[in-house]
Amino acid sequence: MSKPEASHRHKVGALLFRHETILLLVLLAEWFYFNAVGRKFGTLDNTFDIMRHSAEIGLLALVMTPIILTGGIDLSVGSLLGLCAILFGKLWRDAGLPLPLAAACTLLIGLLAGGLNAVLIARLRLPALIVTLGTYSLFRGFAEAITRGVDTFTNFPDSFLALGQQHFAGLPTQVWFFLAVAVGIWLLVHRTTFGRSLRAIGFAPEGARYAGLAVERRLAQAYILAGIVAALAAIIYTARLGQAKADAGTGYELFAITAVVLGGTSIFGGVGSVHGTLLGVAAIAVLNNGLVHARQPREMAGMLTGALLLAALSASALPKLLAKFRPLRHSAAPPSSP
Amino acid sequence: MQKYGRELSVAMVLVALLLVLAVVAPAFYEPQPLLSRLAREAPTLVVACGVALVMVTRQIDISIGSVFALCGVCAGSLAAAGWPLVAVFGVTVLIGATLGAVNGALVAGLRLPSIVVTLATMVILREGLRWKQQGAFINLPDAWQWFGLSQRSGQITLIVCSVALLAVLAWASRNLAGGRFLYAVGSNAEAARLAGLRPQWVTLAVFVFMGALAAWAALLNIVQSPQVDPKSGTGLELKAIAAAVVGGVAVSGGRGNLWGVFVAVLLLACINPALTYLHVEAYWEKAIQGAVILLAVIFDGLRNRRQTT
Repeated sequence: MSKPEASHRHKVGALLFRHETILLLVLLAEWFYFNAVGRKFGTLDNTFDIMRHSAEIGLLALVMTPIILTGGIDLSVGSLLGLCAILFGKLWRDAGLPLPLAAACTLLIGLLAGGLNAVLIARLRLPALIVTLGTYSLFRGFAEAITRGVDTFTNFPDSFLALGQQHFAGLPTQVWFFLAVAVGIWLLVHRTTFGRSLRAIGFAPEGARYAGLAVERRLAQAYILAGIVAALAAIIYTARLGQAKADAGTGYELFAITAVVLGGTSIFGGVGSVHGTLLGVAAIAVLNNGLVHARQPREMAGMLTGALLLAALSASALPKLLAKFRPLRHSAAPPSSP
Repeated sequence: MQKYGRELSVAMVLVALLLVLAVVAPAFYEPQPLLSRLAREAPTLVVACGVALVMVTRQIDISIGSVFALCGVCAGSLAAAGWPLVAVFGVTVLIGATLGAVNGALVAGLRLPSIVVTLATMVILREGLRWKQQGAFINLPDAWQWFGLSQRSGQITLIVCSVALLAVLAWASRNLAGGRFLYAVGSNAEAARLAGLRPQWVTLAVFVFMGALAAWAALLNIVQSPQVDPKSGTGLELKAIAAAVVGGVAVSGGRGNLWGVFVAVLLLACINPALTYLHVEAYWEKAIQGAVILLAVIFDGLRNRRQTT
């Protein structure tokens, strides 16, 4: 039992390593190209700017990684970001709560919203794709209904805006939050039994159950974590833009999923890494920012991100396809049964 | 009767809603507004049929909103260039089928997950269209609106076109070999392969068909107004998937009936006007749509659990 598993893991490890190396090369190529084309691209200020703009999508991608590792998906994170931003503004402006308390309540709301996904997916065992498609519509709908589509929350105090617009200890303030979450999730996924159970669930949910893992609880935790971090991303988003609107975070789920898949995490679950996701986020962020500096049309960023996603997927599918043809040529080799 | 219990329960909800509307808001049944409302839903019905068939095959396609918009713009440009109606229809459906074939080739050929592939093509097509068109509307020739008929007969033609298509597809998916292939592959692709089918080709075919239907829906949409909106079809995929799920199509494949989808399209279409007549603000539409999807999957989940235990 242990031997095939070890060799399998070794193979997967090698593949991951290759995937992440390729991604790193793509990132470097992007960097050098845009540095050569855009005049202000390579400056420190612009580097900070890229970090600032990628913090929210980065946070969503980080918590999407454990979910996709289990073979699930969460389409509702962008809508939840919008709902949390609205409720945060509402709690502060209309309910008159002090900002730290409003922020705490927002995180609690994120937890509850993630809990809704968790109950439906983990407890009732409904398909994650359709459940989160439903909550994608539900959360955005609540945000629109609460603001009646027009209400915008602005005039936040400077001390709060500093979170999204100022520096702290040499880095943009929100980057510290991002790094803290990144380290936390990396440790969670790569250094704890929690992370190992997520992979096990992604490989074979039934097998994980028979092996005595608390499949239901692990799945629930992954979706609840996504809710809390989406709420954190909403607060940072509001601080960066200085306003909260019902359409906050529209389409962010796409960028988050793209970053995760680009980072080498299999959409079928079981295989993937948090550092891969970080590289994926960086590749998308640099592309978005660089195209502006290279005076390319805005739409190019979306098109290239989509193309990059397809290319990454195809690249990861090719070895499997080629492997399928190999036994034909070496028919003498005995079939290995794990 | 037992077999169609799921579809009948949706139909009962629809009837209940219609009865409530008859009592509370008789104005809902005035012929002309009702006809316009139904005609506006004709494209949704066509797309929902397509997506239901894709889901029966155990795949999903969320790029249909973008394909819809792109086909609308292509048809509009060709019409503005003076092409005859029939030629525009043929070419547009061909474009839609080609775009569907790209999705299908990636999903069936490279065995990539359809949700991610179509997520990518959705963005690529949508952004590409925005780049090319920059939000500009296209003016259609006068003879195009309502196929050159009066508004009333144009609307009736649209409704007949889409419902007839639905009826043919509903019959074909139940009675023709091609339709049964979809259910076979969606229920168990490996068993279908052992039975002599080629699941990859069936998957490719269903995506091509989906693209053609999205193009057809786009044509039914653009004839309703004097201009083509390049941003049309945003969120259409969600509407269509919602209709399929509410109509009883299982995301896990192999289960679903197009008549159920038909009832669900009508039900979802009635929610918005019902809100207006019941004095609920229209901003709640998206939230209610989400709640309806969740209720439908919860209902299915509990039902399956009761049947298996």
